[in-house]
Amino acid sequence: MSAYAGSFAVSCVAEDRKGVDTLQREARLNRFFAGVEKRALRIAEISIRNRDDALDLVQDAMIKLARNYAGRPDEEWTPLFYRILQNRIRDWHRRQAVRNRVMVFFGRGNEDDDYDPVAAAPDPAGRTPDEELQTAEAMQGLENAISELPGRQREAFMLRTFEGLDVAGTAKAMGCSEGSVKTHYSRAIHSLRDTLGEHWQ
Amino acid sequence: MNERDDIADNDVFATRAKVRFDESVDGLDGDTRSRLNRGRQKALAEVTTGGLRWMQWAPAGGLAAAAVVAVVIFTGNPQFAELAAPEVATDMEILLTEDSLEMIENLEFYSWIDFDAEAIDNDGPVNNVG
Repeated sequence: MSAYAGSFAVSCVAEDRKGVDTLQREARLNRFFAGVEKRALRIAEISIRNRDDALDLVQDAMIKLARNYAGRPDEEWTPLFYRILQNRIRDWHRRQAVRNRVMVFFGRGNEDDDYDPVAAAPDPAGRTPDEELQTAEAMQGLENAISELPGRQREAFMLRTFEGLDVAGTAKAMGCSEGSVKTHYSRAIHSLRDTLGEHWQ
Repeated sequence: MNERDDIADNDVFATRAKVRFDESVDGLDGDTRSRLNRGRQKALAEVTTGGLRWMQWAPAGGLAAAAVVAVVIFTGNPQFAELAAPEVATDMEILLTEDSLEMIENLEFYSWIDFDAEAIDNDGPVNNVG
């Protein structure tokens, strides 16, 4: 009887431990998402030029990370999350290309022409109207220039510069070698400097 | 320009770009932040309910099991084996049409018509005149 009670107690302790582990992992994941989600949204938005779709992509990436990779070491979450997000962004571009081909076939133009950069500009926070305008214009110029880059250069530049990933982390997120990351990043930054000019700030 | 200057200029440019980017992140409106928060909560729910993911395949599993049972019954029973494939396909087509429910509701009426038609075939034409 006492042996049975003992094994039951051990089983309860194991279940409690598992529950505590799940809660702790959830709390850590919550902190990770809270820290990364806003930057991820802006990166996705700059890539696809559509905030609603960018929100969907970021949510999908968070769900996939939580579902499939929550048990991986915390330090792997950032490159994994961005790898998922970049795959989602590439899929979005593929679907958009097909959609545009179909629209052209049926004689309808690109409905994304109504993208309004002023309306999509972020809300200002405590700046004078002049500063606000200057900031919005500078960011808009940068976004336009980034959107003109080839896909891989765009990914390398945003992951390195905006997210602050190192070369190894960027390589993991992009699924390529570190050498490729360096090449893409270098080409991207030179292209952006050429496009925006030396006085851009 | 030598390589060192070029790298320094790249770093200056990257720093400026990062500042502009961070400002745009800080300027995200309340509605967008709220939607991000909702998306995050939805994702976190996956951590606690991850063990029940197999439940989403339950309907498909049930359907597959029913299909296997149907195949076993059809192939093992000589009565069903006599049914020709096109007839089975026709039956399925009829069953899957939208008005099949209406037919089931009026089953009594259709069986009466069927019975009446058989009676006419057996007894010859009914003389309703006079």
